[in-house]
Amino acid sequence: MLPMIIAIAILLPLVAAVACYFLRVSAIRSLIVLVTGVCVAIASLALFGQGSFTYSPGTAFGIGWDSIVTLADFVLLFVILYYAFRLKNQLIKIFAVLQIVPLAFFEFFMVDHAKEVPAFFADNLSLIMVAIISIVGSLICFFAIPYMKEHEEHLHLEKSRQPQFFFYLVLFIGAMNGLVLANNILWLYFFFEVTTFCSFMLIGHDQTEIAVKNATRALWLNSLGGVSFVFGMIYAYTVSGTLSLQEIIAAGPMAGAMLVPLGLLCLAGFTKAAQIPFQSWLLGAMVAPTPVSALLHSSTMVKAGVYIVLRLAPAYAGTFLSEGIALCGAFTFIACAAIAISQSNGKKVLAYSTISNLGLIICCAGINSPWSITAAIILIIFHAVSKALLFLCVGTIEHGIGSRNIEDMHGLYLKMPRTAIITIIGIMTMVLPPFGVLLGKWMAIESATGDMFVVTMLAMGSALSVIFWVRWAGILLTAPIRKGVPAEKQSILTRIPLTGLAAGSVILSLLSPVIYSSLIKPMIGKGFDISMGIFSTPAGVFAVYPIFIVLAAAFIYAWMETKKSSTEQNSATYMCGANVLDKDSQAFIGPMNQPVEISASNYYLEKVFGEDKLTVAVNFIAMFLIVLMLGGAL
Amino acid sequence: MKTLILIILGIVVAPFLGGLIAGLDRKITARFQSRFGPPIVQPFFDVAKLFGKVKVVNNFWQVFCAWIYVIAAALSVGLFFAQSDLLLIFFVQAIGAVFLVMGALSTPSPYSQVGAQRELIQILTYEPLIILVFVSIYLVTGSFRIDEILQYSQPLMHKLPLMFIVLGYALTIKLRKSPFDFSTSHHAHQELVKGVLTEFSGPYLGLIEIAHWYETILILGICALFWHTSFIGMVILLVTTYLAEILIDNTMARMTWRWMLGYVWSIGLAMSFVNLIWLYAG
Repeated sequence: MLPMIIAIAILLPLVAAVACYFLRVSAIRSLIVLVTGVCVAIASLALFGQGSFTYSPGTAFGIGWDSIVTLADFVLLFVILYYAFRLKNQLIKIFAVLQIVPLAFFEFFMVDHAKEVPAFFADNLSLIMVAIISIVGSLICFFAIPYMKEHEEHLHLEKSRQPQFFFYLVLFIGAMNGLVLANNILWLYFFFEVTTFCSFMLIGHDQTEIAVKNATRALWLNSLGGVSFVFGMIYAYTVSGTLSLQEIIAAGPMAGAMLVPLGLLCLAGFTKAAQIPFQSWLLGAMVAPTPVSALLHSSTMVKAGVYIVLRLAPAYAGTFLSEGIALCGAFTFIACAAIAISQSNGKKVLAYSTISNLGLIICCAGINSPWSITAAIILIIFHAVSKALLFLCVGTIEHGIGSRNIEDMHGLYLKMPRTAIITIIGIMTMVLPPFGVLLGKWMAIESATGDMFVVTMLAMGSALSVIFWVRWAGILLTAPIRKGVPAEKQSILTRIPLTGLAAGSVILSLLSPVIYSSLIKPMIGKGFDISMGIFSTPAGVFAVYPIFIVLAAAFIYAWMETKKSSTEQNSATYMCGANVLDKDSQAFIGPMNQPVEISASNYYLEKVFGEDKLTVAVNFIAMFLIVLMLGGAL
Repeated sequence: MKTLILIILGIVVAPFLGGLIAGLDRKITARFQSRFGPPIVQPFFDVAKLFGKVKVVNNFWQVFCAWIYVIAAALSVGLFFAQSDLLLIFFVQAIGAVFLVMGALSTPSPYSQVGAQRELIQILTYEPLIILVFVSIYLVTGSFRIDEILQYSQPLMHKLPLMFIVLGYALTIKLRKSPFDFSTSHHAHQELVKGVLTEFSGPYLGLIEIAHWYETILILGICALFWHTSFIGMVILLVTTYLAEILIDNTMARMTWRWMLGYVWSIGLAMSFVNLIWLYAG
C-alpha cells in the first residue's frame, strides 16, 4: 500500500506532466490535471492513515533508485547550465558549475554507496506538508485550467503554450511531495533543484522581456541557495558520515562542528523562502500568470524553504545559530510588513505579506521551543490556505476588471460581489481571531518573550500587517448601495477552488484544536493544554471554540440586521450639502458651478514605508544579520 | 460558572460605566472651559435619542460593520472580566476596530474615507505599544492571563512605571483625545466633519457610541491592572489617569499623523526598551 501511495504522490504528477505535454488537446489535458489532482489529494489523506514511516524503494528495471536520482540530478544541473549559456548569465554559469563540480566529487569520491540510507522518512510534519501541497496545490491547478484559457485569449497567442505550462505546474507538485518526504539528503537536494528549475520555467512562461529577466533572477538567486545546499550537504557528510537527514538531525550541534553545515543548509532555505535580502526573486515572480504566483507563494517553493529550516530545528536547538535564525526571521517579518504598506499593487501586497509571514515561521523555528514550533506549523498550514485563496482572488479580479491595482478595486462589490466577499473572507482569515494565522501569531508572540528584540519586532510587525489588509478589505465595499447587487457569473472551475479554499480557511481554523492535538502534539511533545477547544498554558489562553461560536452568532445576527436594512431609507453620500442632485451621480458642485466627481484613495505612507526608501537599508541590515547568524555558527 | 457570571456582568455593567465616564468627561471638560456643561447622564440621553431616529444608510455594509464593532467590543470586555489572556482580548478588540474602519470605507464620502485612513494610522500607532505593554506585564508576572497576573503580590507600577506612560499614549489615542484625535473627535470644530463616523447615523451611530464605551472600560481596565493589589490604589490611579487625559485633551492642539507616528513610536519604543532592560537586568 505504502509504495503505491508514495508513487501516486511523487511519480503520478511526473507521468501526468509528461502526458500534459504530449497530448495536446485541451479537453484531455484538463481531464488529466483534474484526475491527477484528485488522486494526489486522496493519496495525501491516505498517508495520514499510514502515520510516520521510513521507506526505501527497491530498484526500477534493475537499476537502483539512488543511481537514477543521481543521474537525473546531473542531467538537471546540465540543463540549468545550458540555460545559463542561452541567457548569457555569468552568475548562473558560476553557480551551476559550483554545484556540478563539488557534487561530482562528492558522489564519486566521498560517498560510501554501499551504505544503506532510507530514501523516505515521514513524520507528521512531512504528512502535513504533503497534504498542503497536494490539496491546495491541486486546487490551484484546477483554477489554472479556465484561467490559462482566458490568459491566452488576452495575449492572442497563435500557438497555445499551455502544454509546457501544465507540464511544469503538475511536475512541481510531485517534486514538492518528494522534497518533504525525502530522507536521503541527496534526494532532498535533487527535488530542491527540480523546484528551482520549475519555478524558473514558470516565471518565464510568458516570455516577455520582463518575464525572462525575472525568471533569470529567480534562477540565479535560487542557484545560490543550491550552492549553499551542496556545500552544507558535503560538510554535513564529512562531520556526521551519513546521508540520512534524520541521522544528521539526531547528530545535533556536536560541539559546534555541525553548526556550519546546518547554517549553510538554513541559508539555502532562506533563499528558497525569499527572506530578505533574497526577496527580489519572489517579487519578480509576480509577472507570471496568477496560478504560478499562487503555487509559489502558498503551498510550494517558499514552503520548501521554511520546511528545511523547520526540519533542521531540533539539530541547532539552543545554539547561537538558532538565535540568529530567530532574529533574521523576525526582521524579515517586520521589514516586509512595513514595505507592504506602501504598495498599491494587489499582488505585491500579497508577495510582501507572504515573505513577512515566512519570516515569522522562520523566526518561530529559531525560537525553537515546543510552543514556537507549534506556532510555525500552524502558520504553515493556515498561511498556505489563506494565501492561495487570496492569490486566486486577485487573479479572478484581474480578469474581471483588467487591473491588479488596489485603487481600481474601489466598490468591487458592485461588479463582482461573490469574488469581493470571498476576498474579504480571505483577508479576515489572515488578520483576525479566531482564525489560524492569528492563532499562530499569538503563539509566536507568547513564545518570543524570552528575547526582547524578537518580541518587539513581532509586536510591531503584527500591527503593521493589520493596516494593509484592512484597507484593502474596506475599499472592496466602497459604494453607495441603493438596491440589490446583480449576481456574478463564475465558471465552475473558478468557483470550486475559490469557495473550497474560503470554506477550508474557515473550517480548518475551527478545527485548529483538533489539528493540534492529533497531528502536532504527538510529534513535538506537549506545549498547550486543550479543553473545550481552548488552548491554554500557565502563560496564556486562546479560546478558539467560544470565540468562534460568539462571532459566528454575531455574524449571522449582523447579517440579518443588514438584510432588514434593505427597506431603509438611503442617504446620499455626505458632501457638505453640495451634492449634485442626480440620484446616480457621485459628484459635488465645484468651482464655476461645475460638477466634480468625488474620488478618494488609500494612504500608502510612501514617505515612511516606501519600497525604494526601505529596500536598500533593510537588505543591508538583513545581510548583517545573516553574517551574524553564520559567524555565530563558526 | 463563575467565569460565565463574570462575563455577563462585564458585558452588562461596562456600557453603563463607560457612559457615566463619558458624561463626567463632558462635565469636567465644560468646567475647564468655564461652561456649566450637560448633566452627567447626557450620553445616555444622546444614545437613546439616536435609537429613536429614522434608520438611514448609505451602504448596507455599514449596518453589518456597526453591529460587529459593538459585539466585538462587548466580547473583548467580557473576556477581560473572565480574566482571560491579554493578547487574546486585544486581538478580539481589534476585530471591532477593523470593522469600524471597513464600515467607514464602505461609503464613498471623502470625509469618511480620509477618516478611515487616519483611523488605520491610529491603530498602527497604538497597537505595537499595547502589545509591548502586555509583554512587559508577562515579564514581570510570568503570564498573559489576567487570573495569574492578579496573583502577583506587588503593584505592577513598581516595576513598569515607564510602560504605564506608554499605555497612557495608547489610551489617549484609543479615547480619541487631542493631540491624537485626528480620525474623529468629540469637538465639533474639526476639519473632517466627523471622520470615520461621518456616514453613520441614527441607531447605527448609537451602536458605535456604545462600542466606544466598552473600549473605554477595556483600556481603563488594563490601566487598573497596574495597581491591582489594593482597591483604593486602583481607583486613585484610574481617576488621576483619566483626569490627566482630560487635561491633555483640553490643552493640546491636534497634530498630524506624521508627527503622531514618529513621536509616539520613538518615545514609546524608547521608554519600552528602557523599562524592558530594567526587567532583564533586574
